[in-house]
Amino acid sequence: MELQLELALSSSSGRGSDPNQDCNRRRKRCFDTAFLGVMESVDSPQTLPLLIWDEKQRSNGELHEQKRIHDLAASDRNVEDDVLVGWPPVKSWRKQFGHHSRRVCATNYVNVEHGGGDGGGRGLNSMYVKVKMEGVGIGRKVDLSSHRSYQTLIAKLIAMFGKCEDNVETYKLTYQDKDGDWVLAGDVPWETFVHSAQRLKLQKNGY
Amino acid sequence: MAYSFPEEVLEHVFSFLSSDRDRNAVSLVCKSWYEIERWCRRRVFIGNCYAVSPDIVIRRFPEVRALEMKGKPHFADFNLVPEGWGAYVHPWIRAMSAAYPLLEEIKLKRMVVTDESLELIARSFKNFKVLVLSSCEGFTTDGLASIAANCRNLRELDLRESEVEDLSGHWLSHFPDNCTSLVSLNMSCLGSEVSFSALERLVARCPNLRTLRLNRAVPIEKLPNLLHRAPQLVELGTGAYSAEIRSDIFSNLAEAFSVCKQLKGLSGFWDVVPAFLPAMYSVCSGITSLNLSYATIQSPDLVKLVSQCRNLQRLWVLDYIEDTGLEALAASCKDLQELRVFPSDPFGAEPNVALTEQGLVSVSEGCPKLQSVLYFCRQMSNAALVTIARNRPEMIRFRLCIIEPQAPDYLTLEPLDAGFGAIVENCKELRRLSMSGLLTDKVFEYIGNHAKKLEMLSIAFAGDSDLGLHHVLSGCESLRKLEIRDCPFGDKALLANAAKLETMRSLWMSSCSVSFGACKLLGQKMPRLNVEVIDERGPPDSRPESCPVEKLYVYRTVAGRRADMPGFVWTMDGDKSLTFS
Repeated sequence: MELQLELALSSSSGRGSDPNQDCNRRRKRCFDTAFLGVMESVDSPQTLPLLIWDEKQRSNGELHEQKRIHDLAASDRNVEDDVLVGWPPVKSWRKQFGHHSRRVCATNYVNVEHGGGDGGGRGLNSMYVKVKMEGVGIGRKVDLSSHRSYQTLIAKLIAMFGKCEDNVETYKLTYQDKDGDWVLAGDVPWETFVHSAQRLKLQKNGY
Repeated sequence: MAYSFPEEVLEHVFSFLSSDRDRNAVSLVCKSWYEIERWCRRRVFIGNCYAVSPDIVIRRFPEVRALEMKGKPHFADFNLVPEGWGAYVHPWIRAMSAAYPLLEEIKLKRMVVTDESLELIARSFKNFKVLVLSSCEGFTTDGLASIAANCRNLRELDLRESEVEDLSGHWLSHFPDNCTSLVSLNMSCLGSEVSFSALERLVARCPNLRTLRLNRAVPIEKLPNLLHRAPQLVELGTGAYSAEIRSDIFSNLAEAFSVCKQLKGLSGFWDVVPAFLPAMYSVCSGITSLNLSYATIQSPDLVKLVSQCRNLQRLWVLDYIEDTGLEALAASCKDLQELRVFPSDPFGAEPNVALTEQGLVSVSEGCPKLQSVLYFCRQMSNAALVTIARNRPEMIRFRLCIIEPQAPDYLTLEPLDAGFGAIVENCKELRRLSMSGLLTDKVFEYIGNHAKKLEMLSIAFAGDSDLGLHHVLSGCESLRKLEIRDCPFGDKALLANAAKLETMRSLWMSSCSVSFGACKLLGQKMPRLNVEVIDERGPPDSRPESCPVEKLYVYRTVAGRRADMPGFVWTMDGDKSLTFS
């Protein structure tokens, strides 16, 4: 009795599927396709594209239109205070150790105290701090340098956590200062707050 | 079956297979090989934690000893992925604590790790040996204390580039006195000072310590104490490399370095005072890897150091090295394989250093083994790129960041299509490419036609239309990861090449022109893809379907949609109506 060996590809997963059952359904593969460079395209699905690409349909006029629309919209995108998010693509902690001359020194201290990885995400004066909202498991990060007052900051935080913005007054913002103490926000001038806040906490006022 | 080859023999043969590709191939041969292989697979690599679930992995591979896993997309490094997106490791740790009591290694990249997870690791795995957390976040030094205190056989604790909430340096003192197994300790990302005497004693009692990367808080005067206790070190990361200039500090340092005959890699060098650099000269001839990317010293001092390191294979440095320094590098370091030049002032409008495309050209001319480049600069020309491509056809990784978006060839004011075209045409082994500068759809035509081995492509502010994206998706046969930001790519290319996405690990597109309607269609028609829309403006169905989404992350998965999405992420699928929290 001859032993028949078949090489077969399992269906795309490790869902405990039995590759040998699939053997029977597929044709036997020759050595070349089985061993040479097939693994990369193992899962080349036979699905049809969702849209047929028409080489001729892209006229020059259409190309420029697409780019023009994109560029117009670009000014609304990704830009906070005239600074591009994440560009140049340098990891935030690398920015602290470079040439300081154009930077506000206080900004650097804020960044370094955030544990080396925090803050300094974008632009000359960006100051990211972590924010936690009471009752929400996952924290967020906010750039203090993109705000000018407590009101805009609190409104932004409320929106970030998906809550209703109408009753700003029912929220209480506290922050941890450089000494590690938790302080109610709003008592000190905005600039002082921005340079001393290490992390923020947003809570609903108690009843 | 007419015969039966003993399982033990097969298992023994398979034990020589370390590559996942080989093991995957073996498991496809027949049912019994699949079974034997899955019981003896000890190492699992998961490139995207959401591509598969813990249960699936555990069911197939019951005897895993080492897990390596990656979470967030690469662009998370540049703050493009909002906080809270996901990549939590805890469900994995929970599942493995029950299923893999003999687990020895966990290596994670861009994942959220909590103290709870670290404590569970410390409690669950009696033979735990290796913990590498690369660019991770979410834990504090308390979690590290648990690891230090409980993992009796710990060999590696490597926190490279992770964001740790640094409560105190006390965690290091939790290593018990009978812990002698450390081989590698990397705490360079931590801010707080650890107890130096605890560190000294730890280093002294671990005879196999090969890698020690200190944090900035360890002063240079104390470095000799550590070096004398660990003369067998192969890799050293210094702390702050500065002190008042005193001859005794210098001579102690020089003497300490001279006993470290095995040193091959150096890093650290925060706050460098150039006068202390010559203390290292005795080890320079053996150095193959040098990370000076924190050293804010000028070109002449850099050159003096680098030209001592004749066997250098890898150099990471700030652009203070300038073109003249790179020319000197090219003359001295003929074994150089990898060069990374980082910007000292990435946000300055004007150049602050004399570093141009010429520096890279010099290195490409002088270093015959150069294969991996990451280069930040402020000007580039097609001519330079063509020269580099012709000089180094064996280039494998080429990442160029011209700081000003859409900067043209500074000589001709033309797009840089021809230059990057030359790179992909000449460098047939190219696996990774990051582009910048002014680029039209033409460059993507070159890429689609030539970059057949390209696995990862990063694009920013480039292209004119969907044609660009279509060239890439239809032409790059080996493409696994594609990340795009701020390009005018829309629905057509994506939908026309939907099937391609199942052959890739992931696609990231942010600030492009992909509509919500297209995302929905993609999600509905491609059940083996998770199509995630990330939009902080609120639910996408509160806007017209033609409205472009902010960010799109598409990845293949066998685990279905994930259950841990935050409120600003929606998965498009056909099973349910759009759900959001």
